[in-house]
Amino acid sequence: MLRAENLSKTYHRHAVQVRVLSGLNLEVKTGEFLSVVGASGSGKSTLLHLLGTLDAPDSGAIYLDGRRIDNLPARDRDALRNQTFGYIFQFYHLLPELTTFDNVLMPAYIAHSTPGWWKSRGRWRARAEELLRKVGLGHRLKHRPRELSGGEMQRAAVARALLTHPRVLLADEPTGNLDADTGGEIVRLLRELNREEGVTIVMVTHNMDIVSATDRVVRMTGGVVSDDTRRPAPVPHLIAV
Amino acid sequence: MYKLLLCVRYLQTRYLAFICIVSVMLGVATLIVVNAVMSGFSTKLKDRLHGVLSDIVMDTDRMEGFPPSPEAGRPETPDEMIARIMASPAGERIEAITPTIEVFAILQFPFRGQVITKPVRLIGVDPTGRAAVGGFSEYLVRQHGSPNPTFDLTPDALRRHDWNKRQREQDAAFDVGAPPAPKPPVVDPNALPPPDLELGKGTPEVKMHGVIPGYTLAHFRYRDEHGEVQEEAALKPGDAVTITTVGGGDLKPVWGNFLVADYLKTEMSEYDQSFVYVPIDQLQKIRGMDKRCTAVQLKLKDYDRDKEFVTNEIRRLYPYPDVQIATWEERQGPLLSAIDVERGILNLLLFMIVGVAGFSILAIFTMIVSEKYRDIGILKSLGASSGGVMSIFLGYGLLLGTVGCGLGTALGLWITRNINWIENGLTTLTGTALFPRDIYYFKEIPTNVDPMNVVLVNVGAVAIAAVFSLLPAYRAARLHPVRALRFE
Repeated sequence: MLRAENLSKTYHRHAVQVRVLSGLNLEVKTGEFLSVVGASGSGKSTLLHLLGTLDAPDSGAIYLDGRRIDNLPARDRDALRNQTFGYIFQFYHLLPELTTFDNVLMPAYIAHSTPGWWKSRGRWRARAEELLRKVGLGHRLKHRPRELSGGEMQRAAVARALLTHPRVLLADEPTGNLDADTGGEIVRLLRELNREEGVTIVMVTHNMDIVSATDRVVRMTGGVVSDDTRRPAPVPHLIAV
Repeated sequence: MYKLLLCVRYLQTRYLAFICIVSVMLGVATLIVVNAVMSGFSTKLKDRLHGVLSDIVMDTDRMEGFPPSPEAGRPETPDEMIARIMASPAGERIEAITPTIEVFAILQFPFRGQVITKPVRLIGVDPTGRAAVGGFSEYLVRQHGSPNPTFDLTPDALRRHDWNKRQREQDAAFDVGAPPAPKPPVVDPNALPPPDLELGKGTPEVKMHGVIPGYTLAHFRYRDEHGEVQEEAALKPGDAVTITTVGGGDLKPVWGNFLVADYLKTEMSEYDQSFVYVPIDQLQKIRGMDKRCTAVQLKLKDYDRDKEFVTNEIRRLYPYPDVQIATWEERQGPLLSAIDVERGILNLLLFMIVGVAGFSILAIFTMIVSEKYRDIGILKSLGASSGGVMSIFLGYGLLLGTVGCGLGTALGLWITRNINWIENGLTTLTGTALFPRDIYYFKEIPTNVDPMNVVLVNVGAVAIAAVFSLLPAYRAARLHPVRALRFE
């Protein structure tokens, strides 16, 4: 489904060049829950940004269902991020001016013009309510992000990422800013969504405890995949975090 | 949809936006108030400049009146001139026409034991005819707006004249032992001018004639011990004045005695302190220019439509170099141009206030964009385009400008409407008159709100707000989503 071929990426900071990815190859299959682990600076987040078209590789290519997506025009990349990919960040990244409900609706707001929104708003609002109930925030619709706990904010971010029925969920250290219990809840939620909605998930993490919940663990070292391990599908209630 | 939503939410939640709105609001309000006051002064001044002038004035610098007509071989009488003009194609476009005599003179009258002497502009008019061409009866104090004003004295004025006369006679009777007083410039204010026997003009009719002096000529203004402006009449209706001018032909001094019948109050100091109206027939007699005049005043049925045609037609009838024909605007041209130029420059300078508001928008927007780096990254990660992000901040600038303009317009119109009340309040508060009535001769601060001007100010201010939000909006749009997401 999602394939990275020979990806290279170098960041330039003044006169210093930092090579982050050096010819990385990776293939993610449909419905897979994949975790990417590695030391800081190993290129995990950069890989996620490249896969989600937030950034472009210096060389190499990324394919989605056989179609190259890293060199698409800006408009098509925007549409991909809106419709095909869903992002979850370590720091939740909810918009502080909006309510939880509006934050979850944001991908739909972006997808539609004002008249288009008014035509389809009933469907989107129902979908947002359903997702918020599913992540346990049905009672927090009108609350602002500052009124939510870290776990609640991350659950709202998960609901936002799922609003447009994305095919791929890209999670960048989703438990990195949460305590162990709350982080476990989030991973359980992702696992549940992966099973129930068939969403492909690529999760970057430092936390070796939560990789047990995923189907496959990819280890990165020096900008390349150094280890790729498939795990037997875990029993949900036995996920240790 | 997200652009509109975020514009409105940013407006509701950012107190910095409130500063932008206040900047634009104050700029717009100031522009509206200053323009309204300037326009009020300008309109009132134009009204007054036009006020005492008829639509078209035909006059000559010759002291004896208009030059002889080549056809008649003699100067035309005012009636002949009027008949000739009215018979021309211009006649049907003229609503009223009247002859006048305008000449410099000296006005003298006794006040508190002294003889007051003032240089004046003496104008001989037929009061009814002058009222018909406009700019006369509406400025009279007693006969305000009368279609048939006269120089006649009221019974009260006549009683005051009799009392004055008896008073002078009593003073003379009790002053037997006093040394002979120095000969005053006017021996007897009530004496009639000596007949010009040499020219065989005959003895003038034994009758006292009325005079209408400018209000300021007849009143003194001073400040009392409390600093309040007080006004005292130096000439009351029935008081006598002597007017000395030059003869129409030989430029010898001639004079006449008149009794104050009314006042002219135009609230234009230049007119109120120099204009003195007397009956034209009496002035003709005094100056020895029987049946001649120095000016003809015309009022048109439709000034804007006919001014050029009538002016050209009269020029064709009287193509003499010493006869001037001009519209009131041409006569006041430099002053009117100066008013327009002043207003234009003031507008330009004041628009800089809105420019300052624009720079505050630029500074505050730059801050807001810096604060919103992460939000911009989030939006781009959710699929927002660079153009969409730019639209958010451009729309935000437009919204701030529009809200600021709306509030500024409301504030400006409110201040304009209540400017005299505000001025009174500030004067009471500070103890200093912000609008001294004795300087401007206006009862209150004149204002005139021009809707087109208000619209232009609003359009300009919104445009400035949009232009100054362009740069921060462009910066936001150019922001790389990954860098924005990592921004701390």
